[in-house]
Amino acid sequence: MLEIENLMVFFENALALNGLSLGVRTGEIVGVIGSNSAGKTTLMNTISGLIIDMRIKEKRKGGERITIYGNITYDGEDITETPPSDRVKQGIVLSRERHPVFPESSVVENFKIAGYLRSKSEIQETMDFVFTLFPPLTKLKTRKAGFLSGGEQQMLAIGMALVVRPKLLLLDEPLLGLSPMMQKAVVDAIVSLNRETNITVLLSEQFARPVLPVVDRAYVVENGMLTLSGTGAELMDNPEIKAAYFGV
Amino acid sequence: MKKRKERIDRGIKARSSDIFALLSWREMLYLAAPRLLPVIVCLLLPLLLGPYWQKVLLSVAVVALLAISWDILAQTGMVSLGQALFFGVGAYCSGAMNHYWGLSPVLTIPIASLLGGLICTLILLPVLRLRGIYFSMVTLIIPLILVRIVEATKIFGGTEGLSGMTPLPSTWFELYLSMAVLLAVLFGFRRMMDSDYGLVLKGINDNDRSVINAGINIYWFKAQSLFIAGAIGAFCGAFMTHVYMFVGMPVFALDYSILPIAAAVVGGPGTLAGATLGAFILVPMSEALRGFGGLRIVLYGVFLVVFIVALPEGIFHYIQRKYHQIERWVEVDK
Repeated sequence: MLEIENLMVFFENALALNGLSLGVRTGEIVGVIGSNSAGKTTLMNTISGLIIDMRIKEKRKGGERITIYGNITYDGEDITETPPSDRVKQGIVLSRERHPVFPESSVVENFKIAGYLRSKSEIQETMDFVFTLFPPLTKLKTRKAGFLSGGEQQMLAIGMALVVRPKLLLLDEPLLGLSPMMQKAVVDAIVSLNRETNITVLLSEQFARPVLPVVDRAYVVENGMLTLSGTGAELMDNPEIKAAYFGV
Repeated sequence: MKKRKERIDRGIKARSSDIFALLSWREMLYLAAPRLLPVIVCLLLPLLLGPYWQKVLLSVAVVALLAISWDILAQTGMVSLGQALFFGVGAYCSGAMNHYWGLSPVLTIPIASLLGGLICTLILLPVLRLRGIYFSMVTLIIPLILVRIVEATKIFGGTEGLSGMTPLPSTWFELYLSMAVLLAVLFGFRRMMDSDYGLVLKGINDNDRSVINAGINIYWFKAQSLFIAGAIGAFCGAFMTHVYMFVGMPVFALDYSILPIAAAVVGGPGTLAGATLGAFILVPMSEALRGFGGLRIVLYGVFLVVFIVALPEGIFHYIQRKYHQIERWVEVDK
């Protein structure tokens, strides 16, 4: 479904992604595991196309600062230079790091803005699905999104990505800043949405412990380079992973 | 072969700014030229220009000072649309002191600068808590209110204004006073914005909550920044009062609010030098376009739009980048 070949991204003279290649097959949950500054967010921004917008803005500020090389193929089509809004229309939807929501709008309004591409009935349908996925949101429909807790905002952010009806859902650090309890709830929700709606999920995370058991396959990224890959179970047993991410 | 544009500091820049190991006259010149150039230009221009362009130079200096004052406020996170307030308050302060008490310009200009800054700070003190567009709206409205107050209550000569101010000793004095103040303000406040004090001001613009978290009372610092900007603007007003030998309602005109912003945006905001450069480009250009009659404002506007679209970073940032850094194509190695 998604094929990335030899992706290189430079921020000025710093190499953020160095020849990264990975693939995602339809219906999978794929994890990208890496510590801070591994390049997870850059990878997510590059797949979703946000980096193209960033590149234009940096260019306005003066000079070419972001350089992108490599190929991203989605459903057999090269989308390396496709603008982000078109990628959303093709079904690639990103839920960004640190769950950015519209803080001044209510939860329902947030869903409506996110679901701009979809019809009213479709939005309503997905919203009902999201409320069954994340029961705590049900009671907060009219509350301002800025007054939600971190975990509730994260649920809202994933819900907002779902309202667009993605084929490929990108989740950038969905567990950031959540308690272990919350982390488990979000991971369970990701698994059940993958089962029930057959949405392909690519998620990046630095907490390997809650994520690895549920992913079909995972890639380990360090300093913008792929170091390990395998099924979730394989990586769970890998001693290097244990040492680096489980702290044992 | 895949290539990308690499951007690196010139070696001479690294040597001069980090380790201060200057090896030759050329390197010393590299460091000194950007500082010397404006000084030389400001000192020589009055000698080279004719009487008409000398008058233009005075308004260049005034717009540049107002633009610097705008830039200091903008760097503190307060986008002002009312530089005319500072200008007008300073103008009326010095005008009133000269007209009613007969004080000489030697006293009125410095006193009006400080007093004007203080009055502006007090006027705007209640709205310091407003951010963004709300602060801008208030600063835009206050000069308009003050004009109407002068008109309605007929204080300070009402619509007639006060005329017959003591003139400054000579045109040369006017020119060199304005140039000296411009250079002092430019270099002095650039230095200030680079110091730890300036860092706090810039921090308020960047993230005011983090600045509060560092135990700093941001409203006190905002008030100080307002006083600095107000005093610079009030100096312009006081100075022009004595140049024109007249003070009246036009001192609150919208021109004094808009021109400085245009200058700062074209020159490159956030550097003070950019604001000055912008004034030195925009004001003479506006004069040069007078030959086009009614089309003057149209051409002026088109030029502004072209500039903002083509070079959004501002002229000064562009020059600075080219001066300090080189760009070259390098092969992407794998």
